[in-house]
Amino acid sequence: MLCEKCGKNNATTHIRTVVNGVVTEHNLCGYCAAKEGYTDIGNNSLGEMLASVFGDVLTKNSASAALRCQCCNASFSDIAESGKVGCSECYKTFYDELLPYLKRVHGSTRHAGKIPNRAPLMVKPQKETIDSLRMKLNELVRLEKFEEAAVVRDRIKKLEEEKGNE
Amino acid sequence: MSSWYLGKNPEDDIVVSTRIRLARNITGLPFPSRMSETQREELNQRVKKAILESNTPFARTLKFIEMKDVPEDERHAMVERHIVSPEFVANQKGRAIILSQDESISIMIGEEDHLRIQVLCGGLQLEKAYDTAARLDDLLCDQLNFAFDEQLGFLTECPTNLGTGLRASVMLHLPIVEGMGQIGSLADSVNKIGFTVRGMYGEGTKASASLYQISNQITLGISEKNALDNLKIVTMQLIEKERRERKGLNKLKIEDICMRAYGILSCARILDSSEMMKRLSEIKLGMGLGIINDEEINPIRILIEGQPYMLMRKFGRMSPDERDIYRANMVRQALMKKGN
Repeated sequence: MLCEKCGKNNATTHIRTVVNGVVTEHNLCGYCAAKEGYTDIGNNSLGEMLASVFGDVLTKNSASAALRCQCCNASFSDIAESGKVGCSECYKTFYDELLPYLKRVHGSTRHAGKIPNRAPLMVKPQKETIDSLRMKLNELVRLEKFEEAAVVRDRIKKLEEEKGNE
Repeated sequence: MSSWYLGKNPEDDIVVSTRIRLARNITGLPFPSRMSETQREELNQRVKKAILESNTPFARTLKFIEMKDVPEDERHAMVERHIVSPEFVANQKGRAIILSQDESISIMIGEEDHLRIQVLCGGLQLEKAYDTAARLDDLLCDQLNFAFDEQLGFLTECPTNLGTGLRASVMLHLPIVEGMGQIGSLADSVNKIGFTVRGMYGEGTKASASLYQISNQITLGISEKNALDNLKIVTMQLIEKERRERKGLNKLKIEDICMRAYGILSCARILDSSEMMKRLSEIKLGMGLGIINDEEINPIRILIEGQPYMLMRKFGRMSPDERDIYRANMVRQALMKKGN
């Protein structure tokens, strides 16, 4: 069978994708497969595989290349290179970049499973405050703004004490 | 000591074990690859506190262990007992584990995700294993603020675990399907419906002793129940296939193979790991077919206890050649019930 892209070489790569139950199949030669962004996944780790599917976003979109996560400072290229997301906030920061790939991996982008039984609304704001302060603290420490960090640390301590006394 | 391979369990002529793993992360901390030493310590202490200070039976049955306090050989032996991943022991710095006494429940802290809740059971027991994991998850969820997004579900370091964070797997003994050269096509067909087939020790490992792990791949857009139900359906089909093929075998020929394996293992003085695995697999097949009728023989237990670090943990550091001698002795005694 000849490659359906160039029609010259023998098709050596068979690509089958399933998105929401719709199956599409392509037969390409090694050269065209690589050009289309499909690499040999047989010997690669999952991380490398993901890195290869993330890769082309960077070249196509320079705006996302400059963006960094406010929480952990990861850039999208950090995520693309390692195949690992930096922190839970990254999913918000790089939502648009990640979405097409989540769809490719899972065939869906909407959670259909367990929803954690979160604390009632009354308590929730406080819970989130401690967490958001922690995040702020981490960031300040990273930037070596230790004076400001100490203030935040004391606020966390106070909130935790209040919580403990309840 | 591990208990998942002891006793009699559902479908255990073919299904060796069932495993449930939930990946969870805490908001406000970067994922493990980006965590500092202090953040790792903070994570360990928060998880430890959440469980050990909870007013639940888990607080009494689980213990907290820092990996740096575990001797190197024992760390590798934990991998051989399937309690932790090879990746987890590769770098023990700042990592900790919460473990039940019978080793059926473990929580790896600071592996690829902040928490990897794992429950292991013998035989095919998906519901039971998931139920335990879910109870532990509920407890931790109350204490720790898990990273969760309404659209994307539980947030994980690797996007392949996003959603339920659930990896359910069963380990199957498929010597006849393997012998017929059908593992490849089987792997292809289960792949198409969202499952993977791997060797005994997980990602990237070769199958030995005809043991194969089947697990779900997709975690986003599918509920836990559906993922478990689907895995159960696939597993039951594989069980039926292996059983059907076993029925078509030449009885005398297969009896010969199984009894030879028994003979070799009962008499060998030097036994390397791969021969042990191969022969134990044949003995397990013989037991499944009723050719070997000794309830006291537990080939899976012998197989695990005959792994290199499991032997060294018991008999001390030794060279591979010495290990082959100790292995032969251990296996012989297990089969002959002392003596010989």
